[in-house]
Amino acid sequence: MRVAFVGKGGSGKSAISGTLVRILAAEGKKVLAIDSDPMPGLAFSIGVDLTDVGIPDDAVEENPDEGGPRYRLKPGITSAEAIEKYAAYGPDGIRFLQFGKLRGPSSELFRSQMAFHQILRELKPNGWSVVGDLPGGTRQPFFGWGRYARMLIVVAEPTAKSLLSARRLARLELMKEAPRVVAVANKVREPADIELVAAHTDLEVIGAVPEDQAVVDADRRGRPLIDEAPDCPAVAAVRSLARTLQQEAGQ
Amino acid sequence: MRVAVVGKGGSGKTTTSAIIARTMARHGLSVVALDCDTNPNLGISLGLGDDETERLVAMREALDEGEQEHAPSWDDLIDRFGSDAPDGVRFAVVTRIQNPEPGCP
Repeated sequence: MRVAFVGKGGSGKSAISGTLVRILAAEGKKVLAIDSDPMPGLAFSIGVDLTDVGIPDDAVEENPDEGGPRYRLKPGITSAEAIEKYAAYGPDGIRFLQFGKLRGPSSELFRSQMAFHQILRELKPNGWSVVGDLPGGTRQPFFGWGRYARMLIVVAEPTAKSLLSARRLARLELMKEAPRVVAVANKVREPADIELVAAHTDLEVIGAVPEDQAVVDADRRGRPLIDEAPDCPAVAAVRSLARTLQQEAGQ
Repeated sequence: MRVAVVGKGGSGKTTTSAIIARTMARHGLSVVALDCDTNPNLGISLGLGDDETERLVAMREALDEGEQEHAPSWDDLIDRFGSDAPDGVRFAVVTRIQNPEPGCP
């Protein structure tokens, strides 16, 4: 499976994708989690101790090619090797590849970011389950940062702002060589909430996660939901989503 | 007074900004609210509704696509790209939605 989560900030992308990653890994799958958000998030939901593990400066050089990205991985370092060397380890053998976190002027991050982007572009099918978590909003998705995915999953809450954002993100379908775009309803209180997501986005809603205090509590403690409340309704819903995604991917 | 509200996604930036803008306007101040988010939702929190929010976003996008002329001055920007929100807040979407730097998050 190769999926990437998009949606408004706070819609629950990291909580759902982090839990999904843990569920797949616990089943024995080789999982690559991809965090392209410059703000902290996914590491907490998975339970990776490190929150800032970008591609190191000494693996990156200026790109001599005119018109290409400003920086690239040094020749001799393939994308697969870069993942092997620079992705952090999470629970159950999860590998966690990160964009690098913003600590100062954004130019300091360009080297790591562009190497990260190159790794995503060159990512080959390799028997791994790939789960990506994009930053909130529309910018990265529309610049093609989720192109490595076969399916883009728009996470939408039944709120006006989240639904409007999800409607904008549904237009990702119109991009050139766009992957399939689907929706997951989050913080659902009643079945009508799922209908609302479907009606606003015109997307197929492939999963629904209920509003669940356990998610809020885990978030406050900065701990993975699946460790704090393994039997809570939200985790059960993500387990169901995992089955759906595996069926869709023919696994 | 000029303030900008920043923070992590979902932390409440848009809601906070809208309440500050409307409260100041209710106290009689002349207020301009600017949406600088690439996913602009401030119109919703100010109370303008989906359609008017999307109209302003579309107008801003037309600028990026060269279908609209840039505003030469602040007054012209507020006049042409703005809309009247409740309590007399003047609201405009000013974010640069397109960005030529593909590495930029």
